[in-house]
Amino acid sequence: MRAKANALTQGFIRCHDCGYLVKTVDHLLSCPRCNSHLHARHPHSLQRTTALLVSSFFLYIPANIFPIMTVNQFGAGDAHTIAGGIVELIDSGMIPIGMLVLVASILVPSSKLIGIGLLLLCAHFRWQINARRWTVMYRVIAFVGRWSMLDIFMISILVDLVDFGGIQIIAGPAATAFAAVVILTMFAAENFDPRLLWDNQKNL
Amino acid sequence: MHLFTKAMNNTNYDACPECDLLLKPAQPKPGEKVHCPRCGLLLSRPRKQSVERTFALSIAGFILFFPANLLPMVGLTVLGNANTGILISGVIALYNDGMEAVAIVVFLASILFPLVHLCLSLLISGHLYFNRPNRYLVAWMRWMHHLDEWVMLEVYMLGIIVACVKLMAIAPLKLGWGLYAFIALIIITTLLTSSLDNRLFWQRIEQLRKENKNAS
Repeated sequence: MRAKANALTQGFIRCHDCGYLVKTVDHLLSCPRCNSHLHARHPHSLQRTTALLVSSFFLYIPANIFPIMTVNQFGAGDAHTIAGGIVELIDSGMIPIGMLVLVASILVPSSKLIGIGLLLLCAHFRWQINARRWTVMYRVIAFVGRWSMLDIFMISILVDLVDFGGIQIIAGPAATAFAAVVILTMFAAENFDPRLLWDNQKNL
Repeated sequence: MHLFTKAMNNTNYDACPECDLLLKPAQPKPGEKVHCPRCGLLLSRPRKQSVERTFALSIAGFILFFPANLLPMVGLTVLGNANTGILISGVIALYNDGMEAVAIVVFLASILFPLVHLCLSLLISGHLYFNRPNRYLVAWMRWMHHLDEWVMLEVYMLGIIVACVKLMAIAPLKLGWGLYAFIALIIITTLLTSSLDNRLFWQRIEQLRKENKNAS
């Protein structure tokens, strides 16, 4: 079954950029329609994704430990971490917004790190899994990643607006680390090739 | 436009981008959706008058981009001092705080990439609308494809909402015209993404190139 279904085993390569199908026997290096490089699968998909994932994992630690912003009130500084900001929102009764930030800046990044890690393990060790379900997981991870930037945008607005004589909000070092985590995991998801999951299945 | 769909693909086959299943390309009518039978990916969703709509929405988005960026979005008054914010002032404030990297990311995702994306879709749909071949069409399409994910206007909107909720506790807020223009811009860009039919655009571009070659 597998040999029948896959385009690659049937002798076709799909262009990543424009979706054009090219015959493998033509040995073309670039797509005749859009000129982008042709690859049957993303080149070095697993290595690149692993590298990006490991670096974002290490950046995730400072992103959660250091303050993401500091509220200066008449000389007294009050540092907030990501989790601290959410607790404060929920304490002051803003439960739906607190939940939104909780999902966007804690649940999404951490489940993304775990999810991409699982996808990598699955592709590397050729686990026999329900490929359709895992592809859906990949799709969710790839879709949801950008929404974590919410925290960064919020800080840019707060830093800009709250700047009066006595009261001031300053962005903290965790903001850089967190932005880097979001961007690196987005690149990681982009570099992972879900077709590797399907290639490894013995019986489809 | 559907005449082109049949003639173009030289292999008469199609492959799913996420599971690599070899498929016979379906010929869906506008409004129908085609999913991959194996992995469930939405393969194509043709729209009525995709080129015309994309062209119109790109013009609208391009016009709205300027008020959304230049008019004050949110104003905050504390102890008689009023501060108003626009998109770029948040970037500048971050930059002055010594967060250069974050400032650049915010600038790219909320200002530069959306503008470039709008310009590209305006150029592409404009050329297709007037049937003008251009050797850069292919490059523009590829850039737009890669930029898609990094245009984060709707995420920025959520950021504004959360920031407003936090600020309401401190002082009264004033919403400005910039914010309304920004919301309109988000609606336009969302409609734009859904009206832009990638497959059709690529086919039209190839068609234009072939016509151009035959003519010359």
